[in-house]
Amino acid sequence: MIEKGKISASQMGKMLYLAILPTAILTTPAITFKFAKQDLWISPIWALCGLIVIFVSLRLHRMYPGLNIVQACERIVGRFPGKIIGFIFPLFYLYFNGIIVREYSEFVVGAFLIRTPLIVVSGSIVLVCAIAARGGVEIVGRFSELILPAFITLFLLIVVPIIPDLQVTNMLPIMPEGIRPSIEGAIVLQTWFSEFLTASFLLPFVADQKKSQKSVYISLLAVILTLIVSNLVTLLLLGELTGNYTYPFLTVARYINLADFFTHLESLFMAIWVLGAFVKICVFFYVTVLGAAQWMNLSDYRPIVFPLGLLLILFSMWVAPNFQELTHAIATSVTLAIITLFVIIPGLLFCIAWVKRRLWIKS
Amino acid sequence: MGTTKRKSVLVLVTLSIHALLLAGCWDRTELNDLAIITAAGLDLTEDHQLELSVKIYLTSPSSSSQQMGGTSGPDKGAAGLSVVRSAVGLNMADAASRLQQLLSRRMFWGQDEVFVFGERLAKEGLAEPMEFLTRHYAPRERANVFVSKGAAKDVLLLNPPIERSVADMLREMSKSQTGLNVKMKELAQMMAGRAKAAVVPLVEIESEQENPTSFPLIRGTAVLKNGKMVGSVNDRATRGIMWLRNEIKEGTLTISPNNTKGYVSIQLLRAHTELIPHIQGDEWSITVRINARDDIVENTTDLDLSNPKHIKKLETELGYDMKQRTDMALAKAQKELNADIFRFADAFYRKYPKKWNENKDRWDDIFPKVKVKLEANPKISRPGLTGKNLFKPNQR
Amino acid sequence: MDWAAVLGIAAVLVIMVRYEWPQLKPQMKREKTAYAVLTAVGGALALLLVFYPEMPGPTQGLDALYKPLVKWMDHFIEKRSG
Repeated sequence: MIEKGKISASQMGKMLYLAILPTAILTTPAITFKFAKQDLWISPIWALCGLIVIFVSLRLHRMYPGLNIVQACERIVGRFPGKIIGFIFPLFYLYFNGIIVREYSEFVVGAFLIRTPLIVVSGSIVLVCAIAARGGVEIVGRFSELILPAFITLFLLIVVPIIPDLQVTNMLPIMPEGIRPSIEGAIVLQTWFSEFLTASFLLPFVADQKKSQKSVYISLLAVILTLIVSNLVTLLLLGELTGNYTYPFLTVARYINLADFFTHLESLFMAIWVLGAFVKICVFFYVTVLGAAQWMNLSDYRPIVFPLGLLLILFSMWVAPNFQELTHAIATSVTLAIITLFVIIPGLLFCIAWVKRRLWIKS
Repeated sequence: MGTTKRKSVLVLVTLSIHALLLAGCWDRTELNDLAIITAAGLDLTEDHQLELSVKIYLTSPSSSSQQMGGTSGPDKGAAGLSVVRSAVGLNMADAASRLQQLLSRRMFWGQDEVFVFGERLAKEGLAEPMEFLTRHYAPRERANVFVSKGAAKDVLLLNPPIERSVADMLREMSKSQTGLNVKMKELAQMMAGRAKAAVVPLVEIESEQENPTSFPLIRGTAVLKNGKMVGSVNDRATRGIMWLRNEIKEGTLTISPNNTKGYVSIQLLRAHTELIPHIQGDEWSITVRINARDDIVENTTDLDLSNPKHIKKLETELGYDMKQRTDMALAKAQKELNADIFRFADAFYRKYPKKWNENKDRWDDIFPKVKVKLEANPKISRPGLTGKNLFKPNQR
Repeated sequence: MDWAAVLGIAAVLVIMVRYEWPQLKPQMKREKTAYAVLTAVGGALALLLVFYPEMPGPTQGLDALYKPLVKWMDHFIEKRSG
């Protein structure tokens, strides 16, 4: 095995939480609102893809202990198809991480550092993430353990002071057209829930395997709850305007005013964003590097960290010419691609593995 | 040996690069490079262009070096000077960029808490400037908005004696909740909402132009329909609007009870308004239930206000007074302006979403015919420190 | 401007190689190849992006792959937000 580090089950849960949530808080309310309207806060409950993906990764790991989905794939469908999938996965992680880096820098540049070139922002975060990923899974795991309390404190610092400004009537009537709009709104969210497949790449390094199942499910639950809270707060503050703002939750942070001196808190949001995006990019980048090293049968993944980091920066430039096309792609083709790759393919693999095992037991 | 040395050099180089970046000097801006805007006014010129005026708070370079970007705390030393500059442009963004050309410092919108729209512009429509103000990252969603009688620039030119600047004055006055307090976010919500009608407090200038003690005053309300100002409502009816919109937080009501001479004044402690819509067949009606708690603060009548019977009577009188005010507001909004400024549309939608969706295009026809029933329940909780008037009638 | 970017890319590549290459042991043939290939791909892509920033990217590829579904989703989104 090329990774010698070990993480605890709770570290894995924290990594997954931070690897999924930050971008979901920022960008999803606007898209979800288009479909779900005032049922915006119900949408995160429909986390179907998250459940499927977690179930599949846990089961596959139980069938093939110590192997992630790509390695297990070679055992299930044979060497050649396994190699193809083993190539697609790191490539897609690289591409998808490029989107995340781009989103991160677009936000930082669009809302705060207007005059700073995009490449400076994306380049610096990728450099930091590359250094962290080079340190191995243990380092990334400890970072998320360190960052999570800060993340939650900052989140509460935005959510609690805004309470006096909330208008509860904004959420009424609840489900006027049944549950359909809220489910439609949840389609985009499936992209984020599918990212739980990352668990499959982390499971082999968990020291206390018995707790890993519980930890992943708690992580999913925490993501759902946090999204419900953030969507609800956004909705109760902005009402009909939610869909019009690019970053509704940022507007929430900007609106806080406690006793006339606790104001202009968007810097808090910026802190959340940088911390969260750092863990997210780190985890995804680590998976990319690990997957690529395994595919090439390297004895160590460290040498390819920086070349892949360079590629990551380039991908972040390459994914879309401008922000509008980026959001459009996220809402359409990227969602489809991620559902195919993270949900359908692992699901099929699991079915094949299950049938094979049944046949093998019978014979 | 060679590699370790090379490595440490590399680490040092990387660290120093980071030191350069982390200092934030990339797009460094000192406080005295900024023109801090405290209030902005928008007017329409004769040839239908937009005139943007800004009130700039001048920070003197010497006193600002230690105090970066703070919002709180009293000003140290001499109160800073404020100046007004304005520029004309095709639209908001154009005017803003032209305005920048007149300034030696870069415009900074982050502290702008007040936007005043001139009456002429409001009549022409606020949709265009509001579009810029919500899209651009700098203007605050929490800034207060006003419509001025006359030019907005004249309001900005005032230097009222009590507060630091006219912006502070307007903001504090609207915060006291005796008049409407409308934030930019709320205006956007109202303009884009179901009713397409909005209310904005109306600012007037008290006393003559040249008088140094002239100051702005919030008096009445401008009513907007589809983004355009269609009329205004006086002070008394504004209270009615506030009752109906559940925005009354404090205030003093003075009534003259029947069969007695003199007045009783009552201070409002708590008030809550509830809109209960009904649709029966083709008839849309709404019940407005107002619950209020008050204290008596002055009594110049002969009534003994420690007597529960008299209190009952006073409460009925109060309810009648509230009804008068709300009726005034309703008559104006329903009959004259046809602007649903009371959020009736939302109330109907929340209770009857299906019916609403069928009829939303006809709302302009329905709204004037909505029957409004007022149930006012003012409760007087305490008579104050005295019961009966201490002084005999011949002393008054 | 373009040439400044090229110089920048060259500088980044030189720093990367100078940093990593000495750490690779002579017997790590596979790693050396992987490193060289990935760095070369990175450099080439960087140059391409400098001179042809409008070059179709992976997103367009995905769009093409899922064309019928994307069309349907676009239609759907428009219907909802309209």
